Amino acid sequence: MTATLARWSLLALAIALLAVWLPLGKDLLFEYRYGKTNLFYSPVIERFVYKELLGDGHQFVYRDETGTDYAREAFEALIPFIYYKNMELWGKLPLTLQGRRFDKAGIQAARQVLQLDPEELPEHRPRIQLFPLLESNPGRARLRFPEDIMRPGQRLTFINSDANRIDPALTRTFTEALADAGFAFPVAASFGRVSILKPFDAGFFLLDARAELFHLKRVDDAPVVARVPLPPDLVVRHVKVAENKRGEYLGLVLTEDHRLFLLGQQDYALTPLPLPAYDPERMALKILFNPLYRTAIYSDKTHVHAVAMDQDFRPIDRYSREMVMARTRPVDQVWSALVPFSLALEDPNGRYLRLQPRLHGQTALIGIGLALPLAYWWLRHRGLRRRDLLPSLLLVAVTGLYGLIANLLFPPERASPRLSREAAEPLTGAAEAAAAGGD
Amino acid sequence: MLRAILLKEWLKLRWALLGLALLHVGMLAYLFLSLRHQFQVEHSEMIWYWAFELRRLPYDQLMFLPALTGAVIAVAQFTPEMIGGRFRLSLHLPVRGDVLVWTWVVFGAGLGLVLSVLDAAGLYGIMRLFFPREAAVSAVLTALPWLLGGWVAYFGTTLALLEPAAPRRLVYLALGLAFLGLLYLHRGYQEYDRILPALAAASLLFIPAVILPAHRYRHRS
Repeated sequence: MTATLARWSLLALAIALLAVWLPLGKDLLFEYRYGKTNLFYSPVIERFVYKELLGDGHQFVYRDETGTDYAREAFEALIPFIYYKNMELWGKLPLTLQGRRFDKAGIQAARQVLQLDPEELPEHRPRIQLFPLLESNPGRARLRFPEDIMRPGQRLTFINSDANRIDPALTRTFTEALADAGFAFPVAASFGRVSILKPFDAGFFLLDARAELFHLKRVDDAPVVARVPLPPDLVVRHVKVAENKRGEYLGLVLTEDHRLFLLGQQDYALTPLPLPAYDPERMALKILFNPLYRTAIYSDKTHVHAVAMDQDFRPIDRYSREMVMARTRPVDQVWSALVPFSLALEDPNGRYLRLQPRLHGQTALIGIGLALPLAYWWLRHRGLRRRDLLPSLLLVAVTGLYGLIANLLFPPERASPRLSREAAEPLTGAAEAAAAGGD
Repeated sequence: MLRAILLKEWLKLRWALLGLALLHVGMLAYLFLSLRHQFQVEHSEMIWYWAFELRRLPYDQLMFLPALTGAVIAVAQFTPEMIGGRFRLSLHLPVRGDVLVWTWVVFGAGLGLVLSVLDAAGLYGIMRLFFPREAAVSAVLTALPWLLGGWVAYFGTTLALLEPAAPRRLVYLALGLAFLGLLYLHRGYQEYDRILPALAAASLLFIPAVILPAHRYRHRS
């Protein structure tokens, strides 16, 4: 009995490991080269244009939404605010569009890119809840990290990094400043951009126990706190802080119901972004600013969507398309037919490892249909009687090729009168010794 | 009888255990010295930034120590059994063979557990000297899959050593390595937090599994 249990434990282990490693081996052998479609709104032809990799090598296509193909240089000239350095090199600056002239400095001053990837969301990645609160008025050219770190909790604790001890004075000053501004402790969430490679420091946004949002900055080593006015129906899930030289927007505010807003830098005004079908759990988002338009582009692994907006974020055009990478490759079709499922450990939308079974559906019946007779032949070859085959065959019927390989690796013991009798008994050395008279 | 079996395991393992204990204490001392050195030559706030934001693991020298420990314990425990057919003699003791094998692995895995607890406590204590408690807790959580690697390496090696047929030994080694490979996929800290219970549960399958090579040994040799 214990030997049977042991074998089935090994079968289960082998099947689980095969379902993880064989798909990884397949991907290593048949690498996936297609990237995401690069989608833009052309201010020249006022249509969406895209660049896509169609296959091996450099099979790029440069196309607009009507299906017209372009040479690479012509394509780049359709989106001159993206390729403005090439435009300058090719002597096309300043350029005139919609009756306005744009030179390099003007283009640079109007450009901004805001991004939000699923991996950035707090629930999608672990983060030690300790953050450096930079001095926002460093009085020098570069920002620098402070010698203390902020621990948001029942109070706003500061820990000195040289001594690895709490700084009571700083802790008291900042905690009291927040409490005086109406902040309800404990801190529910903290949002900021931890970097010194940014044009200025905007501090941190802290969510309090009543889901109200506060802006905290450290100016001349003293706290500056401001409450961010929120509409009553808005529950903040995440704030993406992205300091930018343009000085118009501080970043993005994502709500619990998946609405996205731009956060104004001066007055915390929230500008809603019209993004139909946007799902922050699995879609990467980019908002491109240029002197004429704002374009939101968001995509998951199969589809890319874009909304072109005017400077007041009113939609003027929309476009969606299935990306080439969404098409199932022949090798993936064969794979889906060969094995009934795979186990993926890595999450493309987050840093946490997860056990994600991916079922291959009815096509896997082909692989199961091939595996079953092979398993039957193998088990009969091992001398098993028909009624003893059933559990192993059932396993192969559910797990297909994995089950067949596991049975090949850990076959049932060859049937013999002696082994059959002993396999039914526990591993009893004393009993055997008694029967054999000892070795 | 059980006391005699445990005494025999102790006699087999005591020198290996002493060597491993010295190795673990030495590695923890090295971790302390390397962290102390880093904090001497770099600004403390930069090291904290690397650790918290850039997700560097300043304690990754401990990564493969548990797996090595598991393999060494298994080799020290079961190589003597496989020399000159001593395993067959052990199977003739007046105790059920499966109970005997499980007693052995409980003893070996128990010693591995003691060393794992030493590693976790040492890691927490040393990290706490240089970092706030959140970082020390995070370090232990990050190291948990590595500690599970010790369990997997112990059982993988045990299966390979107890197995009488050479090809099947390779299968057991491959199985152990395939499982071990799942425990080192991280790119930063605490990425196994949500999957570790499932991996730990799967690793429990090694406990019943270890009976099969013993069964095969008894019925083939």
